[in-house]
Amino acid sequence: MTARLKKKLGEMGIDPSSSKANESFCLIGTPLPPLEKSKDTGEFVPLWKQDVRDEKGRRRLHGAFTGGFSAGYFNTVGSKEGWTPQTFVSSRSDRAKQKAARPEDFMDEEDLAELKDSQKLVDTTEEMDLIGGTQSEMRKRGEPERDSIVSALEDSLLPAPKDSVGARILKKMGWRIGNGIGPKVTWEQRKRQDALSSSAPSADDEVPESHDEEAAKHMYPPRDSKVPSFSRKDNPHGLGYVPGMGLTDLVAGKSKDGGNTTGPNLSAGFGLGALNDAEEDDLDVYDSGFNKSSTRLAFDDADEEERIVMGSRNKQSPTKKIQKPGVQPSFQTFQDGRAVLPGFVLSDRPVVEDKWYPLPEVPKGWSPDPRRVWEKDKENIVTSGQPPAVPPITSDHASWKRGITADQRGSILGETPLPAAPKSVFDYLAPKDRERLQSMASGQPLETPVLPPAPTLSMARVEPQIAKAALNGFQPFTADPVKQTRYTAYLQSQVDMEDVPIKPTVGQSMDEFHKELSDYAKAAQIFKPVSGTMAGRFTSAAIVEQVGNAQEGLHKPKPAVKQQLDEQPAKEEKQESAKEHAARLGMFGPLTREIKPWQPAKLLCKRFGVKDPNPELLLAEASTSQSTPTAAAIAWKPEDALANADLATAAGSSKAGGGVAPSSRTGGRRDLSNVGLGDDETQGADTLTYERPAKDIFKAIFASDDEESDDEAEKQDKKMSASPAPVSKEPEKPVAFPPQSVTAAHSIPSTSYGPQNGERSAVGVDLSSFKPTFVPRADREKRPKSDGKERSGKKEKKRKSGKTALVSFDVEEDGGEAVQPKKKKQKQHHGEDDDGLWVEKPPPEIVKKLDPNVHLPTEQVMETDVDEKLAGPQRGRKRAVDFM
Amino acid sequence: MAPSRGISPLPRALHCTLTNHKGPVLVARYAKGSAKYVLTGGQDRTVRLWNPDVGTEIKVFAGHGYEVLSITVAHDNVKFASSGGDRSVFVWDVATGTTSRRLPGHMGKIHVVEFNEDATVVASGSYDSTVRLWDLRAQSRQPIQTLDEARDAVQTLFVGGTYIMTGSVDGHVRTYDLRKGELRADFLGHPVTSILPTKDSQTVLAATLDSRVRLLDLTSGKPLNEFQSHSNTSYRCRACFGAAEASVVCGDENGQVWAWDLVDATPLSPNPPPIVHQKVITWVEHHPNDVGEMITASADSSVKVWRGTSPIAV
Repeated sequence: MTARLKKKLGEMGIDPSSSKANESFCLIGTPLPPLEKSKDTGEFVPLWKQDVRDEKGRRRLHGAFTGGFSAGYFNTVGSKEGWTPQTFVSSRSDRAKQKAARPEDFMDEEDLAELKDSQKLVDTTEEMDLIGGTQSEMRKRGEPERDSIVSALEDSLLPAPKDSVGARILKKMGWRIGNGIGPKVTWEQRKRQDALSSSAPSADDEVPESHDEEAAKHMYPPRDSKVPSFSRKDNPHGLGYVPGMGLTDLVAGKSKDGGNTTGPNLSAGFGLGALNDAEEDDLDVYDSGFNKSSTRLAFDDADEEERIVMGSRNKQSPTKKIQKPGVQPSFQTFQDGRAVLPGFVLSDRPVVEDKWYPLPEVPKGWSPDPRRVWEKDKENIVTSGQPPAVPPITSDHASWKRGITADQRGSILGETPLPAAPKSVFDYLAPKDRERLQSMASGQPLETPVLPPAPTLSMARVEPQIAKAALNGFQPFTADPVKQTRYTAYLQSQVDMEDVPIKPTVGQSMDEFHKELSDYAKAAQIFKPVSGTMAGRFTSAAIVEQVGNAQEGLHKPKPAVKQQLDEQPAKEEKQESAKEHAARLGMFGPLTREIKPWQPAKLLCKRFGVKDPNPELLLAEASTSQSTPTAAAIAWKPEDALANADLATAAGSSKAGGGVAPSSRTGGRRDLSNVGLGDDETQGADTLTYERPAKDIFKAIFASDDEESDDEAEKQDKKMSASPAPVSKEPEKPVAFPPQSVTAAHSIPSTSYGPQNGERSAVGVDLSSFKPTFVPRADREKRPKSDGKERSGKKEKKRKSGKTALVSFDVEEDGGEAVQPKKKKQKQHHGEDDDGLWVEKPPPEIVKKLDPNVHLPTEQVMETDVDEKLAGPQRGRKRAVDFM
Repeated sequence: MAPSRGISPLPRALHCTLTNHKGPVLVARYAKGSAKYVLTGGQDRTVRLWNPDVGTEIKVFAGHGYEVLSITVAHDNVKFASSGGDRSVFVWDVATGTTSRRLPGHMGKIHVVEFNEDATVVASGSYDSTVRLWDLRAQSRQPIQTLDEARDAVQTLFVGGTYIMTGSVDGHVRTYDLRKGELRADFLGHPVTSILPTKDSQTVLAATLDSRVRLLDLTSGKPLNEFQSHSNTSYRCRACFGAAEASVVCGDENGQVWAWDLVDATPLSPNPPPIVHQKVITWVEHHPNDVGEMITASADSSVKVWRGTSPIAV
């Protein structure tokens, strides 16, 4: 800052030392980039800050720990929803626009780039573009896609030119299309070459003949070597044989020393070296061309054809057409639609040419008269005099081709056969053995190998039982009545184990007949009805498919066909015909009416609001017939089904053990060892047939004592009244009534009640002989009542306990002083464990006293009479066990 | 309509033509109740709902994959069922135009489908010679019962209050009496193409392919009357009763609509009737309530609504 400036600033009142005065507005040099931006990419970033991005800066990894790769969410689809199926858009209207899908259509930019890279490696060597307008070039230039027709046209007009690497190198080395390879030769040499290749200088040769001396001054590229062309061999001549060329021609051609047509032709053939002399050493062994017109050049420099040409310019050649790309469309397809490989063309001639010879002209007025020919033959035979030693060689081509064997020829010539080595094993055998063998063989019918038709018939055999089943089963040939009858006849014969009765039809060869028989056998195997258990579950369809052309209107079966289809017994058929007769006569009414019972399904009745007409029919039907599936479905009973299945299996697989098992199983006891096993036939049966026990049983078990009511008592009365002893109506009475004599007679074995009156409480319960008994509640009710007032206090107690445990036992209330404490404890423990389980009952003294009395009537009645009410407690006992 | 007033003439004046079907129309049914609408089904796989009064199409029910051979309308007009070549019964919801149920199970095309009176059961008779009874209350896929007594295709059936009647190509009219638990089969000798019992269920009108329409007594199976002179030998031409069941109406294969007196079986005038359809008349149905209205469906892809010349003259 200069002094002047300072002074000026001072005048302006600005402190020159302030920052404002020192502010500079000039920038010198390039400023450093700001620190935030200058973060270089190599800078260390802690791992948790790093994230993976692709070349476009998209995050590639997502997820909880940044390592999660949620493909399909962010990366592939780019939407949260993922792929959503597009709505269907019909492309029917724009089929023409549609092209065959290329793999590129399904690639994304990365794949395309990859593809491009790989193509660079492979394709650049393969493709060379002379005019720079191939499709691939177009595509690379990003030209918009053209439609198929345009591209097809373009392809056909301008096929993609290709050149091999070798050709390119050669071109760079100065080689021109149409010239041979090698150093340039002089005119003389070239002429010699021409002579060798026996090709006259072509008309379009650029060097005129007249300027020989001028021509001699220059060097010429050598002649191109010819591409050998192999013509298809479609004649029966030998290899290398030229039709019409005799031996002399061949020799003459050799003597002419090349220069003519035969020489090179021969050398082009096979077996060249050995036969041909060294004079043609310098002859191109592959050179088969003779003149310019037939030379085939790998590269032809014809000016109008710049592209590679394979094949000759011969006008007759079928390959001519590909030389003109305009003529031949580039897309050729075989007849089956497959595309022809690139580089190949379809021949317009078929591979095998059918040669048609014109029929000889029949002279007018000629009529066939074979007798004349026979006469002629007869004459021949007669004129020949002696019978020919050899049968006249037939004109049959096959026999001619086979020729005659040496033995035959020898026999014709009358030679004595040479002593040949023995050919058969029999020749080595001693004559005795041979005889024995022969006798053995003659003992057996060995005609089968001799008779040709016998084994052929035996091949289409069907097992009799299968045939029998197939006869009853589906008839597969109903559409063709003739075939059907033949089929049934065949099956019948198989059932009876007879020979096949049917003969080949007229015009049917033996092979066809055998095929027919084997078809029948197969059909029988297939269409035999299902056997065994499955048999009852299927019914054959009532519908029969009628093969044949469809007719307008409703189908009306012809009566003949109907008769054939109906496999009803003759009687029914007769009835049917009577019905038909009545209908035809118009006598409708009882004659044409049939009334059958019919069982509507239960549900159907319900839906129609109709009462089931005969509900008992259900059971009857179910038990009698299982044939109708509906009836079976209505009243399907597992036991029946199982029994049926058992029967079916037993019948079907007539095994020895099969029949025994079901009966033993059904009759067998149920115990823990076999309950619930898979082979338990009766499992679940009791669940299904379970009937609810009488209500009082439940009451007896589950009801609390409070609920004991008058009706209970009344029931008790009734029970008692069933017993032989007269009973009063009061509830106390039956308790008081002790028929001791009956008790003695009964002597219940389960309880060891020795002394009826004894003070058992002191003795306690004998553990070894103790058996639990179940006391019906009704009995228990009586017991305290019998004791009267002295028990009333305990009764209260009992009621309380009855509330706590559903199954109450007397032990708990009054066994305090009677039963040993140890035992009681044990019982209580059990009671806590499972109330329902516990049916053990110790006999305390009172109970003992009462029990026989109480048990007596029930037991008695059980034996004498089946009273429902009395059966109640009994069943209750059973159920208690069942609950276990 | 009391029969004492005499037979009301058949409505012969063309009211309108319903022409939207693309192929033969195979069935045309009136709706239930006041029967203000007509449902038709045809070869073009659609069921169409029409207003015959003005002749406009209201709705197209497309869903069948094959021809529609039969339609039945529920008592409350809420749903209808149709069947055809695609071997399952379609139960449609009229309002939404969608199938509420499809009941597959038949082995052949279903020629006929009928609701029972409260549309809890639908019966279908098929080319597979069975009649299947489907429960519409439950969601079960199995039929309640299959009636497989017919020996040939079941062409027609009628579900009454307590009976089901089927007509089959085997020439039988079978009456399954639910109350009696009895099947009565009456043999007619010719394929039965249409049956229609009278309202009292005492007689049944059965058309057979021998160009006859018979009125059978259901209790005895005897024919009460035989109506002929039309031609019906190969197509299903449905016969129905005219107004008040006093006459019998049947279309024939020449496109004529024939009418007979029920009692004396004489053709009503004009005799012969004019040809009103180019092709076979597949279905005639008289209006259930209105005396002077009738529809005919024909294979010439048209449905015609006929009205009496003087509808209220009677």
